[in-house]
Amino acid sequence: MIDENLHWILSFYRSSEISGALFFGELARTLRPSSIQQDMTRQFADEANHARFWTDCLARLGKEPLKIDSTYQSRYLAAAGMPSNLMEILAITQVFEKRVVSQYTLHANSPDVPIEVQQTISEIMEDERWHIQWIREALDNMADEYGEENISQTMNRYREADRDVYKSTTREHRERLGALRLANR
Amino acid sequence: MTLRDKVRQKIASVLDFDVDAIADEAELTSLVNSSFKLVELVIELQEEFDVRFNQEDINAVSNTGQLIDLVVSRSTATAI
Repeated sequence: MIDENLHWILSFYRSSEISGALFFGELARTLRPSSIQQDMTRQFADEANHARFWTDCLARLGKEPLKIDSTYQSRYLAAAGMPSNLMEILAITQVFEKRVVSQYTLHANSPDVPIEVQQTISEIMEDERWHIQWIREALDNMADEYGEENISQTMNRYREADRDVYKSTTREHRERLGALRLANR
Repeated sequence: MTLRDKVRQKIASVLDFDVDAIADEAELTSLVNSSFKLVELVIELQEEFDVRFNQEDINAVSNTGQLIDLVVSRSTATAI
């Protein structure tokens, strides 16, 4: 059995992956045929799979997912402002994906992580590394259209927002995330 | 059909509204139930009409008429 904090955290992961899948699914449907459309379609499928992995993980741990309304992504938009074009969407996604990798790494290295959770994180991390790679390549290829300096400034703006969102999220859920943070000081 | 009409029709289609319900004065935030839908709309318009927006453009837009104006002005500029 798992405690209620871990139950909430795993449900939060699941809910965030669902939000990511829905968002990228809509984008993949909207974009014109291109390598970005192809990669974004794969990312959409990955995010949906990750939601399934967390749902299955919870089931193996004898729990049903909690309904979580506020996801990490919705906080991002509130803090960083709405992305105005595809480059900005990829930039915010790149920053977000790095945060996801960092959070999952922190979780995997925490004490007493159930084997079911470790296996799920390990499976997801393979995909996350690819997400970061394809987006970095796509942003590099956009330098002519959007300008290298503009892309760099956009990344910095989103990194700043990411730090704010992470800080406020951890403050808000201090008790739930406490065990993970204490283990990684 | 004018370009303005086409843009209005696209907005209606993305937001799943009847085109007559998309008045110029309609606030965009009142037409959507999440910011993600607004992002989708903005990207859809850029893809469909082959225009590009930046952060300043989007910050200056609050209602449907302004969004249509933005697409039309960018589209005309591209055509010139």
